[in-house]
Amino acid sequence: MVQLLDVMQRALEGAPMSESDYQLRSFAAKVQEKVREYKIKYDPASPIPNDRSLAKDLFEAAIELVVDVGAYCTDTSRVISYTEGEVKEAIRNAPSRLRMGEGRNQKDFVSRKVGDKTPPWCLLGAGGGACSSDTSFLTLVEGYAEIPETDAITTPALTRVGGMRIRPASPLEVLGAMRNAVLAREACNRVGREGIPIMNSLSTAESDIAFAAALHPKYGMRRSDGYMICCMDPMKVDFARLNKVAVALSLGGPIGMCFGPLLGGYAGGPEGTALSNVAHHMMGLLTYQASWMLPFPLHLRYVSSSSREMLWVVSSTGQAISGNSDILSVNLNYTSAGPCTPMCLYETSATVTAAVTSGLSIESLGVASNRYEDRTTPVEPRMSAEVGHVVAGMKLPDANELAKKLLAKYESKIKTPPLGKPLQECWDADKRRPTTEYSRVVKSFKKEMAGLGVKLRPEEG
Amino acid sequence: MDDKGVWKQLGDAVLSYDSEAAKKAAQNVVKSKIDPLRAIEKGLFPAIESVGQKYEDMEIYLPELMLAAEAMKSALDVLLPLIPKDQKVSKATVVIGTVQGDIHEIGKNIICNMLIANGFTVVDLGVDVKSSVFVEEARKTGAKIIGASALMSSTIGSQKDIVDFLSSMGERKKFAFLVGGGPTTGEWASEIGADGWGEDAPTAIRLANKYAKGR
Repeated sequence: MVQLLDVMQRALEGAPMSESDYQLRSFAAKVQEKVREYKIKYDPASPIPNDRSLAKDLFEAAIELVVDVGAYCTDTSRVISYTEGEVKEAIRNAPSRLRMGEGRNQKDFVSRKVGDKTPPWCLLGAGGGACSSDTSFLTLVEGYAEIPETDAITTPALTRVGGMRIRPASPLEVLGAMRNAVLAREACNRVGREGIPIMNSLSTAESDIAFAAALHPKYGMRRSDGYMICCMDPMKVDFARLNKVAVALSLGGPIGMCFGPLLGGYAGGPEGTALSNVAHHMMGLLTYQASWMLPFPLHLRYVSSSSREMLWVVSSTGQAISGNSDILSVNLNYTSAGPCTPMCLYETSATVTAAVTSGLSIESLGVASNRYEDRTTPVEPRMSAEVGHVVAGMKLPDANELAKKLLAKYESKIKTPPLGKPLQECWDADKRRPTTEYSRVVKSFKKEMAGLGVKLRPEEG
Repeated sequence: MDDKGVWKQLGDAVLSYDSEAAKKAAQNVVKSKIDPLRAIEKGLFPAIESVGQKYEDMEIYLPELMLAAEAMKSALDVLLPLIPKDQKVSKATVVIGTVQGDIHEIGKNIICNMLIANGFTVVDLGVDVKSSVFVEEARKTGAKIIGASALMSSTIGSQKDIVDFLSSMGERKKFAFLVGGGPTTGEWASEIGADGWGEDAPTAIRLANKYAKGR
């Protein structure tokens, strides 16, 4: 079993290579070689494909890719290599179940299969989206914790402390990360869900020092939370990330590795991006010692995961992972459009459908490409979770038809999406519900979804 | 081989992403006593522009764009020293990097290579670059433009630090300062006093063209 010291030894003694050579001549070249060898092909007519051989080929090709290119340590400029036996052992030993949370909110996060009726693990919130103040932060997290389907929280990221904009790896970031932990727990407490796990610990902590500082138990983080560490694309790691791994392992919390291969980036088109996405799952088990995975593949141009090609990437990744392993995987989706727009809700419905019917769980979501401060509300994750619960168990051909109908509602607008309204203009914090205008958008959305065969909970009020 | 044959050799090397072939073609320019400036303008520029367009149209992806730019650089390493200093090859020099504390490089790499494809000289400072280094390098290289990328909401503050640095040194007017990256917006660019926001590669190129002759 590959452990942290093995990773470090290989980071110090592996084959030296420049970063550029690793990315362009090793990783990118091998991805395309495997895509050709396994004849992996994107079909625009099937954004949610129904092809078992594709899932098998992607999985096999991903194992070979990890063995061929390993991971890359940017601090030592060396390749961290793994044998086929080590990769397969890591896949076999990956946990299929994790007990998360405390008390009434304790629940098992379990792996799913294609067409599984088990509802997806719903990690709901902002996906690390930027938020301008403690007040917005609390409003959002209270709202997320009140969603009935919420199994775990993904918090926003604070951008200011004491009126000052956070600077990386500075005391402001350390203080911001500590505040992130305290406020997240407080917000859950305020709505009676104190035991709910926070699984993006901690979005404000980009540096290793802020991460380590904020995980001190006095700030409320627990080993039943999820300790998330982001991988550098493609398949890269540095000492700061490995420092986070060392800290998280010592605290006993399950590490989730998040990674966002870009369609159009080093892995190329949809086929290479799906392959890279699957391979990152395996690399994360080894290099980042992760117990669960958080893929968030994005379209480089649209910075979202709702375009036709992206649905295919999400679905084919899900089918490859869930069809060939028990790796716990939660797909984080981004929309192009913003809150209070129908498009945003259709976009998240499409990606959630692709993920859930293909055997993945969901983290929802980054709204309006997660670009703007406070441009997210508790409504979008709630709709995502409701859709996720309803489509669990749906067969792939039916999911494909649904996805195509949803795409028809927004595909033409994805290059110039409506950005909607910020939190303060479409969410009533005192009443803990959307404004009348947004409620109307939601009701109309639910009516349309019912027309497509997806009957969501009747909207209150 | 005549001029056109050598120009084609240069262009083909870029179009096939082949640095070795590009270097050899450039050496052929020297051997054949062909005007190096004309060789760049007629051989390299059309090829790299075509690669840039293909990337914009998503016919090719980031690795091909970067390999084509590398091939172009291999040829330029041979040809540029032969061109008299009073003859201008590039539109302007752009100093670019990812801000301090941020190690994300894909967006920055795309812009670097698209700038090269559009006739700019690029000084790529890499990632996690101190604010003062942007300014020092811009001074040293005679750049007209400084570009700073940031992908995290916790790191965009460093873009403001660069503006502060330039202002405190009395050099704000000397360089156009452009920002880009995931959490940046037009409003943010205005708030910190940047000259523009490269929302995407075409916008970044438009802004670079606008400020190629200075601010």
